[in-house]
Amino acid sequence: MTRIAMVGAGLSAVSACDALRGGGYDGEIVLLSDEAGPPYDRPPLSKDVLTGSAATRGDIALRPADWYEKQRVELRPGIAVTALRPDEGVLELADGSELTADRIVLATGGTARTLPVPGADDPAVHTLRTWAEAERLRARLVPGARIAVIGAGLIGAETAAVATALGCAVTLIDPVPVPLTAVVGPDIAGALHARHRAEGIDVITGGVERIDRAPGTEEVTVTVGGRPEPVAADTVVVGIGIRPATALAEAAGLTVDNGIVVDVAQRTSHPRVYAVGDVARRSGDPVRHEHWDAARSSGQAAAAGLLGAAPPARSASWFWSDRYGSRLEGVGSMADAEETVVRGDVASGAFTVFGLRASVLIAAAAIDRPKDIKAAQRLIARAVPVRADRLTDPATELRALLRG
Amino acid sequence: MTSTETTSTAHTSVLVAAVGDIAEGEALQVPAERTGHHDTISVFHDDGTYYALDDTCSHGQASLADGWIENGEVECPLHSARFCLRSGEPQCMPATLAARTHRVEVVAGEIWLHPGQEPTS
Repeated sequence: MTRIAMVGAGLSAVSACDALRGGGYDGEIVLLSDEAGPPYDRPPLSKDVLTGSAATRGDIALRPADWYEKQRVELRPGIAVTALRPDEGVLELADGSELTADRIVLATGGTARTLPVPGADDPAVHTLRTWAEAERLRARLVPGARIAVIGAGLIGAETAAVATALGCAVTLIDPVPVPLTAVVGPDIAGALHARHRAEGIDVITGGVERIDRAPGTEEVTVTVGGRPEPVAADTVVVGIGIRPATALAEAAGLTVDNGIVVDVAQRTSHPRVYAVGDVARRSGDPVRHEHWDAARSSGQAAAAGLLGAAPPARSASWFWSDRYGSRLEGVGSMADAEETVVRGDVASGAFTVFGLRASVLIAAAAIDRPKDIKAAQRLIARAVPVRADRLTDPATELRALLRG
Repeated sequence: MTSTETTSTAHTSVLVAAVGDIAEGEALQVPAERTGHHDTISVFHDDGTYYALDDTCSHGQASLADGWIENGEVECPLHSARFCLRSGEPQCMPATLAARTHRVEVVAGEIWLHPGQEPTS
């Protein structure tokens, strides 16, 4: 194996490069990206980039600029891959050239989902997935601007929080009364959602039916089902998830079903092609884990697979979200818990919910209790039997529970 | 616990705690004004051994003293970058830069920090 080409240069691809070199791979690595500039980290796009504290691409670089040369990773930004011929290991590039590789890693990610309603293509309507999109939105978040955020999940909630802090008048619209309930349980979801109102956001429950613009004006109106008065806004932000970028894989005949289907080593249905990050779905998993940690570990798993090593132990899905100076974290699958218990004081705003099934911990979610989550990750990974009353007892050191 | 600072050696030595004061898996922050170092230094207790690193994660703005300490590593509380406690080297994404290490010495049941001195291994 003398050349590995990666299509897409987000966290999962860079993580794979990192793990390949760490694992002793000495051949060529070509990192192709259709975005301009060096690879960057996406979580800050809805936080530090919108606030302006990360003002340049360099501020959110995944790796220092000289890393690629030092690691002999040939970075080719700003070039799209138009086709994949897996049997030959050939990538067709937008400039008409071809690149041949022994193995190909698809890290194409996804694009922000758009609203399937009239007016969703108005220039006032923004999505947030890339640096370019974040930069464009940042310019709109000025004091007094009326911002309608559609979707109160992770990206929408973070954007609403930043916009409020910047002095915008924010309306947050979601069809679900308390978003994230299935993911983090009702206590945490309720506390998080209530915080929006406490911070002065106008929170509306309902589905968006259309977006209109009066001719010659800067203002758009968002019509929400069941509400007679539409929401007037200068800018609309849509945060309703992503669509996996599977077109290349589909055209190449790879198995695609809600993402490119991969095995534990991130291998697709073609032996020459791997897929990592948001675009990949593990065979047997009902969902794609569209989180930072999943992207990082999928890159590591692919590297192990490419090197013929055993795949690293798979950890429970973990995510975080920052809003109003508080941190939400979730690990595991709360929806599968038979019993949930609370550690800490709900009224204080900082507490943890543990989800148990058959006397082992399978999930946890917390606001501002990072050590509880670190302990939970390890309790889940090691499947240590735990008693609910010990988890809730503030006198219990969670670290001690790891010893069984 | 009182703090004692001496200048009898080439580097300032700082008495940070007595053995037993820092529980296994915990860390103690030593503020910059006590060490003359530019960052807070944290002294970590992992499995009977003490280590010292610059407290601020080389990736973000987190305090490594709030991290998870285990198996010779500390995992950052914010984005889970892991650092080797002995060398300071980052073990995984997202960190790219090593955490600065400092020498820690246990003398007669007291934990001494030598800011700016390389650890002896």
